[in-house]
Amino acid sequence: MAEVRLENVRKGYGEALAVDDLSLTIADGEFVALVGPSGCGKTTTLNMIAGLLELDGGEISIDGRRVNDLDPKDRDIAMVFQNYALYPNKSVRKNLAFPLQMRGMARGEIARRVDEAARMLDIGHLLERRPRELSGGQQQRVALGRALVREPKVFLMDEPLSNLDAKLRVQMRSELKRFHQDLKATIVYVTHDQLEAMTMADRMAVMHGGKLQQYDTPERVYAHPANAFVASFVGSPAMNLIPARLTETGIAGDGWQLALPPALLARARQAGSAGVLLGVRHGAIGLLPAATPGAVEARVLTVEPTGDITFLNLRLGESALVASAAPDRHFTPGQPLWLEFDMARLHLFDAASELAL
Amino acid sequence: MRRGFWPVAGWVYLGLLAVFSLLPMAWMLITSIKTQFAAIQFPPEWIPSHPTLDAYAELLSPSREIGRVFLRYLLNSLWVSTATTVLGVIVAVPAAYAFSRFRFPGRNLLFYAVLLRNMFPAVVFLMPLFIMMRWLGLVNTQFSLILTYLTFGLPLSIWLLKGFFDNIPIQLEQAARIDGASRFQAFLLVVMPLSSPGIIATAIYSFIQAWNEYVYALTFLNDDAKLTLPVGLQHFFTEYATNWPGLMAASFIMSVPVVAMFLVLQKYFVRALTDGAVKS
Repeated sequence: MAEVRLENVRKGYGEALAVDDLSLTIADGEFVALVGPSGCGKTTTLNMIAGLLELDGGEISIDGRRVNDLDPKDRDIAMVFQNYALYPNKSVRKNLAFPLQMRGMARGEIARRVDEAARMLDIGHLLERRPRELSGGQQQRVALGRALVREPKVFLMDEPLSNLDAKLRVQMRSELKRFHQDLKATIVYVTHDQLEAMTMADRMAVMHGGKLQQYDTPERVYAHPANAFVASFVGSPAMNLIPARLTETGIAGDGWQLALPPALLARARQAGSAGVLLGVRHGAIGLLPAATPGAVEARVLTVEPTGDITFLNLRLGESALVASAAPDRHFTPGQPLWLEFDMARLHLFDAASELAL
Repeated sequence: MRRGFWPVAGWVYLGLLAVFSLLPMAWMLITSIKTQFAAIQFPPEWIPSHPTLDAYAELLSPSREIGRVFLRYLLNSLWVSTATTVLGVIVAVPAAYAFSRFRFPGRNLLFYAVLLRNMFPAVVFLMPLFIMMRWLGLVNTQFSLILTYLTFGLPLSIWLLKGFFDNIPIQLEQAARIDGASRFQAFLLVVMPLSSPGIIATAIYSFIQAWNEYVYALTFLNDDAKLTLPVGLQHFFTEYATNWPGLMAASFIMSVPVVAMFLVLQKYFVRALTDGAVKS
């Protein structure tokens, strides 16, 4: 297992930069998710680590060795593809054996490793089948097994769960996590699904427009998003972002104002922001039935019960926002509500740069 | 079983088509096993009263004059068609792969230029190619035919194979390269086996084209010993005008490789022309 280091990595397609000056260190044994919307450069990054794409600039090293000019086969990596990329004309056994054969391993050792991987992934009974005779989940396991047998330094995974149905995806998610815990493997995992990244990764690298937005543990990314993009991308429903301006005592939007703690206010002042975005997650909003000092008035637009929690779409001045409440409370559309924000969980972003203040 | 007008009409139609296409072949086969006298008898015998394989024996025995000539033509045809096929596959496979996988300037232009050849009837190129072959000093060589047949077979082969390669997910190759294969090995071990129906289909196609071609063989070759079967048969026709059983036996022998190949490999051919898809 090994550390993966990316330094100032750049890749363009024609005029557009797909990956723009990306620096990232994935520690030995760490599970890192590259996450972002489609076109953010995450798959391009993974393909460059794999050696399937050449870099336009920068350097990638694996286990301390510069790999820029190495063929994929010489990088000692394994990859799991979104469509599994199992060899359709080979049996499961031969699919698993292929990477070992390519490395000229002795027959006995190949058989031993294939059996071991098959046992570990519970696919022993499928070894003589062809990939097309397998279900999606089984194909997924075989793809994982093919990566596993070689005992590579790094596992690269490109949206490995996105072709599975929702139920299976949740199941495979925890299996992958256990797989990582058992193997202590270095894993670089690409996904567009922030929930997958949150639930599985040790650290997540949020990417947008080819640029790294934030690289931190899921908890910290969730609690302290570096900018408005991360704030809106991570977490579901997305963090509310409400445009406002700074006042003497706090912030104000159209038809509402809110006093802020002096420390937060001072930080915003120091940055010299003209306009700000108030960031607040649904869980940090208290819903009061009557006017209270410090609370701002909003109106209920729609009510969405989900069972465990009820989501409310509210209108605050000209802005829309989402709040949540316990399922036993009742609301009617059009009803006024007073919002009490948890000051410790408020975020301010500069309206121009979108950076956290 | 449900019976209506249309299924019956369908069977009648197909039956007529079958008779239409099979009758000449049946006639050829019947005549080939008749005696010389029975072959020109009128009204004809539908079922020969004295069937004989004399015509075949004569054609296939190297010690007889006719046999010697016929076997030479047969070998010439086999050589020209096989060489065309092998060279065609060797050229078409990498070309189609490049068109399918690589992005290079002029890729589309080049691809359509390759296909352009197929828009013209082959005869149009007869004189220009003849003149070129004369420049190259290749007139009256079988190589001139092999070259010509290659250029005729390649457009469709490349087009067909490109479709096959397009349908093979690039991730399969990437997986192979990560699993330890070089780019070439990935092609050889993963892409080639998956596209074998396409490769076989294009090979059959080139072989049959070369095997049946007449006009170019007639024009480019004038040495009797170098002729291929289609032209050779015509010589038969003029030289042994009365030998109908011999001529029919020779025609039958000539159609055997084509029919046999088709029967054995038709499922690949149909697959190649219909879906061409490799499900991953």
